[in-house]
Amino acid sequence: MSPRVLVDWTRCDGHGLCAALLPEQVTLDEWGFPVVGDDLTERQARQLAQACPALALRVLPALDRSGRS
Amino acid sequence: MTVLTCPSGPPAVLTWGADALLSGARDTGHVPLVEHELLHGALRADAARTLAADVASVRLLGRGGAAFPVATKLAGVAPGSDVRVVVNGSEGEPASWKDRVLMRRVPHLVLDGVVVVAEALRTTHAVVAVHDPQAAAALRAALVERTDAHHVRVVDAAGTFVGGEARSLVNRLSGSAPVPGGRRTLPTVHGVDGHPTFLSNVETFAQLGLLGRRGPAGFASVGTLDEPGSTLATLLGDVPHPGVVEVPHGRRVADLVGGADRTVLLGGYHGRWTKAGDLLVDRAALRARGATWGAGVVAVLPGATCPVGEVARVARWLAGESAGQCGPCVFGLDSLASDVEGLAANAPVDLSRLSRRLGLVRGRGACAHPDGAVGFLASALTAFADDVAVHATGRGCGRPTLGVLPTGAER
Repeated sequence: MSPRVLVDWTRCDGHGLCAALLPEQVTLDEWGFPVVGDDLTERQARQLAQACPALALRVLPALDRSGRS
Repeated sequence: MTVLTCPSGPPAVLTWGADALLSGARDTGHVPLVEHELLHGALRADAARTLAADVASVRLLGRGGAAFPVATKLAGVAPGSDVRVVVNGSEGEPASWKDRVLMRRVPHLVLDGVVVVAEALRTTHAVVAVHDPQAAAALRAALVERTDAHHVRVVDAAGTFVGGEARSLVNRLSGSAPVPGGRRTLPTVHGVDGHPTFLSNVETFAQLGLLGRRGPAGFASVGTLDEPGSTLATLLGDVPHPGVVEVPHGRRVADLVGGADRTVLLGGYHGRWTKAGDLLVDRAALRARGATWGAGVVAVLPGATCPVGEVARVARWLAGESAGQCGPCVFGLDSLASDVEGLAANAPVDLSRLSRRLGLVRGRGACAHPDGAVGFLASALTAFADDVAVHATGRGCGRPTLGVLPTGAER
């Protein structure tokens, strides 16, 4: 199960470092805001969160099968 | 059916079968306390003590649009002297009038709800946040008539759409900008000034007032088993009786709009376009069918106006109402509005890009605004697919855009 990366959209300014760091997992939409994939490793998720200059990314534990975290 | 007219802008007020919330409502002024007591009986002495059980027994759902169970919200607030009770009377949706009608015409019912909730939660901190001056005046006049509501204050709310969102209002009442925060917080735990807060829509409090006076059995004398009681709707456009109406739950939507074959906007600008068909005024049933009652705005476009143009005006308004915090909402709603405006003006628009953009905005904001706006636009493109196709050919439908759907300037 992959961890989830939650974007705080009020903080994200579209710097794009997340997409530059992991282009396979993160793409930018036409306005420059990230679309984060859902098959990240724990390590990749933490890398993204630490790279964000706006501190807009948070790592949440994966959901279990019942939908609870 | 009683029909009242309000000369000063708001549409006619009428009741349809049920006559509970709007009992005694008149064209001007508010129902005074003496008459209010005669209509509904005295506030029951044990209303606050039995509130939780009463609310659960009538399965009351919040009336601001999200239809959250009131019993669950009440149970989430730990009673105590620091609790804040907030009535959300901002009514930022330009097509909706029901909350202003309640506050202007039957303010005592709203105040009944506040008094009962505050007592049940053992607090004296209670505010009604209002943007409409007439509503504020009626509430203040009603407060003077009462001896049990000295603790209730009437304060000014922001007149914007997103400013009326619960967490935006909590921020405004806490002295910050009226925009939602980036992290999901529960007002019931961390609300105004960090205190546990019970916040709900004006109509929710009016329903609680009714429950406090009539009791669960009286409350449930109309409506359905699943959703007892009645609700308010604002009917507009090409409908038999435009105005604010009180309808018992379970009534056919088709009856409100003049036929099952009509294409209707249910739930306002965060709602959906759908055929009236066999849909009922019943929040859970509507949700199960992919529709929403929202805050009760029900609109039908007359044949003389261009539906694409009407939708484009609302799309531009929705883009302008973004609080400006979240990129996908700010840029996405602007792009979507430009696409629909282009379509309305018979300019070449890439429809596949438009539908891709709808998917890119959904779910990517701090509040429900982008999702609500996308639901409105996506359902409009489906419901008016024939008109969209005609506009996409570049020739247009030849009809003018009359501005049937209000976008705020009229307020």
